[in-house]
Amino acid sequence: MTDVTEHTAARPRADFLHRFSVRDAGTLIGLVVILAVFGALVPGFFAERNLINILQQSSINACLALGMTLVIISGGIDLSVGPTAALSAVISASMLVAGVPFPLAIAAGFAIGLVCGLLNGVLVAYVGLQPFIVTLGTLSTYRALALIYTGGNPVLGLPAGFRAIFNGSLFGLPLAVIIVAVVALIAWVILKKTPFGEYLLAVGGNEEAAYIAGVPIARTKIAAYMISGLLAALAAQILIGRLGAAEPILGNLWELDAIAAAAIGGASLMGGKGSVVGTILGAVILGTMRNGLTLMNVQSFYQLLATGLIILAAMLIDRVTRGRG
Amino acid sequence: MSVIPRLQFEGISKMFPAVRALGDVSFSVGGGEIHGLLGENGAGKSTLLRILSGVYRPTAGRVLIDGRPVALNNPVAARAAGVAMIHQELQQVPHLSVAQNMFLGHPLTRGGIFVARREQERRAAEALAAIDPTIDPAAPLGSLKVAQRQIVEIARALLDRARIVAMDEPTSSLTPSEFERLAEVIAGLARDGVAVVYVSHKLDEVFGICHRATIMRDGVVVDSVNLARVSEKAVVSMMVGRELAQEQHRSHASSEVRLSVRGLASATKVHDVSFDLHRGEVLGIAGLVGSGRTELLRLLAGADRASSGTVEIDGRAIKLSNPRDAIAAGIGLVPEERKREGIVPLRSISSNMALASMGVFAPRGVIDHTRLKRVAAEKMKRVNLRPFLLDRPIRLFSGGNQQKAIIGRWLAAGTRILLFDEPTRGIDVGVKAEIYHLIEELAAEGHSVVVVSSELPEVIRLADRVLVMRDGTVAAELGRADLSEQAIAAHAIPQSEARAGTARHVGVTDRTSG
Repeated sequence: MTDVTEHTAARPRADFLHRFSVRDAGTLIGLVVILAVFGALVPGFFAERNLINILQQSSINACLALGMTLVIISGGIDLSVGPTAALSAVISASMLVAGVPFPLAIAAGFAIGLVCGLLNGVLVAYVGLQPFIVTLGTLSTYRALALIYTGGNPVLGLPAGFRAIFNGSLFGLPLAVIIVAVVALIAWVILKKTPFGEYLLAVGGNEEAAYIAGVPIARTKIAAYMISGLLAALAAQILIGRLGAAEPILGNLWELDAIAAAAIGGASLMGGKGSVVGTILGAVILGTMRNGLTLMNVQSFYQLLATGLIILAAMLIDRVTRGRG
Repeated sequence: MSVIPRLQFEGISKMFPAVRALGDVSFSVGGGEIHGLLGENGAGKSTLLRILSGVYRPTAGRVLIDGRPVALNNPVAARAAGVAMIHQELQQVPHLSVAQNMFLGHPLTRGGIFVARREQERRAAEALAAIDPTIDPAAPLGSLKVAQRQIVEIARALLDRARIVAMDEPTSSLTPSEFERLAEVIAGLARDGVAVVYVSHKLDEVFGICHRATIMRDGVVVDSVNLARVSEKAVVSMMVGRELAQEQHRSHASSEVRLSVRGLASATKVHDVSFDLHRGEVLGIAGLVGSGRTELLRLLAGADRASSGTVEIDGRAIKLSNPRDAIAAGIGLVPEERKREGIVPLRSISSNMALASMGVFAPRGVIDHTRLKRVAAEKMKRVNLRPFLLDRPIRLFSGGNQQKAIIGRWLAAGTRILLFDEPTRGIDVGVKAEIYHLIEELAAEGHSVVVVSSELPEVIRLADRVLVMRDGTVAAELGRADLSEQAIAAHAIPQSEARAGTARHVGVTDRTSG
């Protein structure tokens, strides 16, 4: 596959196709198959409204999964995204209810996400603790802070104006979907076109070699966790905009869906490997499964089972096709 | 030696999809013989060893032990047939005891349930007594030196009553006296009638301890020779398939001092090192493993922090608190352990090359891929990358080509001082010459080069001047005129080991004195 580069370099179109990796094509085929199956089984599945529904339902997970993908590529993991989102949500929400201007309240929510990510990153990069343990610890810590801050009660009655921001639509698409699409585009540019993207891949692929080559290891890792925190905060704003309320327990188990989307999309938990396109497709696959099974009135137990099987199937296909370099 | 050979390969072929790894390999090894297996990387040595140890099954041909064909269908079957394999990277568990490691996978038990730890340790001690009684069977394996771990592996082979012992590059990290000890143990195995297959890159070792050798190239046997009757040079040309030109050393050193190191020390391994490096000079650093050579390079590359001392470049003092400082000052390290410290395996040649100079390729924050491709093509042509596939993941290239890409990385970063740690470790004889050539050309262009190497011929071939390190400090400085293997060895070896060290150069025929 890689052998063709010399011939294609001159042609931008072929170059684009070349960049669309074999692994991403596999994920896309998986999505097409799943869509076809539901299309055949569920009447009205392909209705425009339902397809938009799927995108909308996938958008929050996709948003988190993009940050997760960057962290996973750097060789880490972020289990704290759900509680980070919750903390960001309740603080923004309480400011909104208190009458703070929208931009300020939203900025405060983003700042919370960045700070949560910063703490994760510093503990991983400077203190040298294992990412799994660090974010397991902050998972409880951030959740506890959200619960303590609210006394365990939801923050209700968000202003209609705020809700309108995230519930609007543009060109017939929900604004949430468009926001996440823009975020995905930015993430793709970061990974493919910036030194930071190369550094992420190098740090996750071989930290020692990256260090000798002068890559700023700590800064790279911390930035990945901060982006993950920021995107968790963005997901939180989208959610509370939709619901009109912020619960301190929101975002429970979000980290697992985000990891699943990244893994289905080809990210390796060993680090050094992952794809923005793949992760988006992975999130849409999970969203499609949920939507289709719900329309078929399948019990939620079986939905969980299906999700599990999809993840395992993706990993098995990865394993089987790996040998062909 | 009996008439029927202990081990016989008969027409062994091994096909992988689209690749013939081995073609009609036949040779035999007698009981009590130490048989060298030589060849460049990819010649098929490892495949043959894997067939012998039951990891691969041959596509055609058979293996005979004591004249009888054996089915080596899996590692357990190979072990049962009396084959013991001693791997290059020891497959041991450091947290477990010596005895537990020796019985790994088939522990002695009481009633099939409980591990009979005492009994294991007793039996392990018996096996060890014959070769190295100083090793405590109850000690954690991780507390042993690499050489002692090799001995433990051999003791394990004795425990299994192995009739054939295959060793893959057993001496890659041993000191001369440790090598001497290992050579004695191997000779002891042979005296007991074991057939030893000995794979090594180091020709002097093979000539030192082996009786005969089989030379392989591109999956076929070139010849099996009696080592007493051939020269090293003849063996090398059989391995490479052509005559390697003997090249003369040429110096390009100027009088201009590029790098000046004074009183450099680290917390543990390096003490009070001072030297100057000139423009266009190749400075060799010799010394035993553990003498502080690698640690010195890591200090200069900013990978570790010095506890005291100064480093000046072109007369200006520089701070080296991380590799970025060193790179900014024009220093780049080509590390010894390429897989661990050099390459990012999944990334392309271009990405690996650009890693140290991302700022140059992304002046406005976004990588200029057109420019990156152009520079990569230019630098990789310069180092003669083969195959010339810049977008291919670096892990799919040979060690020599990975090394070229790392050199290209520093050329792209505008590095003026190149630090090579064991520049040709794990690199084929043919590519070695290319790397030497490249180092000389870099010096001729005005780069300053430091080469740390354990291979004395390599140091002598390349260096304008040699520092010999011992116990973390510079024990001697040798100019071109004083340069010889003997002179280096005399300064490198601590007094207590001097006798063992010279014994190594005499060869194992002298082993009775040890």
